[in-house]
Amino acid sequence: MADKIIQVENISKLYHLGTIGTGSFRQDMQKWWNRHMLRKQDPFFDLATVNQNNKNRNYIWALKDVSFDVLQGESIGIIGSNGSGKSTLLKIISRITKPTTGSIKGRGKVSSLLEVGTGFNKELTGRENIFISGYILGMSKAEVTAKFDEIVAFSGIEDFIDTPVKRYSSGMYVRLAFAVAAHLEPDILIVDEVLAVGDADFQKKCLGKMREVSQADGRTILFVSHSMQAVKNLCDKAIWLNNGKLMANGPVSGVINSYLSDVKKQKLKQTWHIKAEAPGNEWIRMHAVELIPQVTDADAPLDIRVPLLVRIKFWNMTDNLVLSMGLHLFTYGGDCIFDVPAPAITCHKGIVEAECLIPGNFLNDGSYYISILILRDTSVILYSFEECISFELADYRENIQWYGKWTGAVRPKLPFKLKQYETTLHN
Amino acid sequence: MPDSKIPWEWEITSKTSYWGNSMNELWSFRYLLAGLVKRNFLLRYQQTVLGPFWILFPSLLTLVTYIIVFGKVARIPTGNLPPVLFYFSGIILWSFFSGSFTSTATTFKDNIQVFSKVYFPRIVMPLSVVSTELYSFFIQLLLLFLLIAYYWLFQDLNYTLTIAILWFPVAIVTTAVLAMGMGLFFSVLTAKYRDLSYVINLGVRLLMFVTPVIYPLASVPDNVRWLVQLNPLVPLFEVFRLSLLGEGTVSLLQLAGSILFTVVFFIAALVLFNKQGDRLIDSV
Repeated sequence: MADKIIQVENISKLYHLGTIGTGSFRQDMQKWWNRHMLRKQDPFFDLATVNQNNKNRNYIWALKDVSFDVLQGESIGIIGSNGSGKSTLLKIISRITKPTTGSIKGRGKVSSLLEVGTGFNKELTGRENIFISGYILGMSKAEVTAKFDEIVAFSGIEDFIDTPVKRYSSGMYVRLAFAVAAHLEPDILIVDEVLAVGDADFQKKCLGKMREVSQADGRTILFVSHSMQAVKNLCDKAIWLNNGKLMANGPVSGVINSYLSDVKKQKLKQTWHIKAEAPGNEWIRMHAVELIPQVTDADAPLDIRVPLLVRIKFWNMTDNLVLSMGLHLFTYGGDCIFDVPAPAITCHKGIVEAECLIPGNFLNDGSYYISILILRDTSVILYSFEECISFELADYRENIQWYGKWTGAVRPKLPFKLKQYETTLHN
Repeated sequence: MPDSKIPWEWEITSKTSYWGNSMNELWSFRYLLAGLVKRNFLLRYQQTVLGPFWILFPSLLTLVTYIIVFGKVARIPTGNLPPVLFYFSGIILWSFFSGSFTSTATTFKDNIQVFSKVYFPRIVMPLSVVSTELYSFFIQLLLLFLLIAYYWLFQDLNYTLTIAILWFPVAIVTTAVLAMGMGLFFSVLTAKYRDLSYVINLGVRLLMFVTPVIYPLASVPDNVRWLVQLNPLVPLFEVFRLSLLGEGTVSLLQLAGSILFTVVFFIAALVLFNKQGDRLIDSV
């Protein structure tokens, strides 16, 4: 059995929001005076008063009692939604920031790649940047010199090596920056979401290089990514963080499945059986909102191929009302993807049902929520129910060897074909 | 899983050490230091018309200005020394001090992007700045030597190299340490209070007038001399001129006081830099 190379024990990290460094010298002096001269409030008292559920708005536990071990030669994927503490964990292991409590023990040299091109200077040439960036990552001059040709070849920018990087295209810049990091020879390599940039070919090359580093050379890799495909591809184990807590730790496919199915649970269905307690007003009371994936296997994760049926039921409290609806789909980034109106009909007291089908192979992967509007006479808003359904669509790619985030608000599968229009081959 | 018998090599806890990084660790980053010095030079002089000549140009221009303004117009005495040598020696040591101090005083502000993305001993950044300034200083010093040689050969300057030359490295090292200590101290403050960096630039300019750059300490009236001598830079400038040009007003006691102040201040600043550095990363 391989040796433990990192042992993470009860790591917690508390962030103090806002008040540090807002620049009021007077306030800071008062605080300092209180703490050190009057001994009123010790920093540890601060810690104790912080509510564990992040209720105190000035403090946030980015990580809470996280423990795990990493064995020599393992590659571990760290997954979780935004703000779950992944990057904080990597920063602590890379020694950029200190944990609030807990300890990490380890052996060997750690190199981290939390951002592509850290320490790069736009004014310097590619050659100069390779050296500086290598030194920053902890390489010696001899190491960089020995690897220099390999780095240049890997990045594929031979012709521009003596050009200032400010004249590079962004792709070239990223390639060069990654190439330096990929040729580090640390015992532990820490990589944060760097594959999101660069073209498909290069991403493939990077993943290949990382796999080679971990498998052939027996190095340990900690890898953060939003792309489950990339994690599955590269890692044998995974760690799932949610709100700073460790949710699961184990073989990669199991952890990814439980992560995805947790995401799936998010508010796909809400029903209210008692009219008086349902959300609404004197005109409208909600009865049910539901997102029904049109799949045969109910446990399959929601991915972009799945058609989604939105079904809404509500109590209408008035007779002879001309009702219409609007359905808005938003991303959690705040962009409205679409606003679909339902034509008006005349309704009477009782339950009204509305259905809208969002086709498969239409939305891009990501997190979404649905808000609905119920209108009278097509213009007066009777009731608006915001964020009544939320869901996450996983990525699905067939025969596409590319792991970056797919761009675009939507991702429709439009007919798009290549054909040979003319050829000189057989003429 | 059985615990391995191999001992752990490193441990990360919430504690911050006062001393920052071990010497071993610093030594392993010597290439970074050298690379950064080289980078600083490249950045300064790349895409400029005069190129490396810029190392000398500002000092020469200042020299001409001082000779005209303080020498010819204000007629501030320069002792027995030719004004050119007197001013130039003051100018180069002052530009070394002020350059080192003002550039290290914004260490956190300028490097927070790098500090928050990759780990290396943070002290390497201010060290590289001071090394860059030291390098420029030595190049300017060569010009000073040429000027001394010229005055000695053609202007019958009565120049003898005395044992006082031994004080030369002391003056340089103490000035460097003092500048860096002050820089480390203020780098913590400028990270939190950005406007402080303007105050620093202004303060340095004023500090020059209470430092014997444009006048010898000997020309300061006796009744206010003690006030000027509170400035720890005064003995350093005087001993610098004494060691190179053979003229300066300084006692061993004053020099010892200045060195003691420098050492104590530097250690305090280093502790502050290390202790506060970790907190600044989370808050800046």
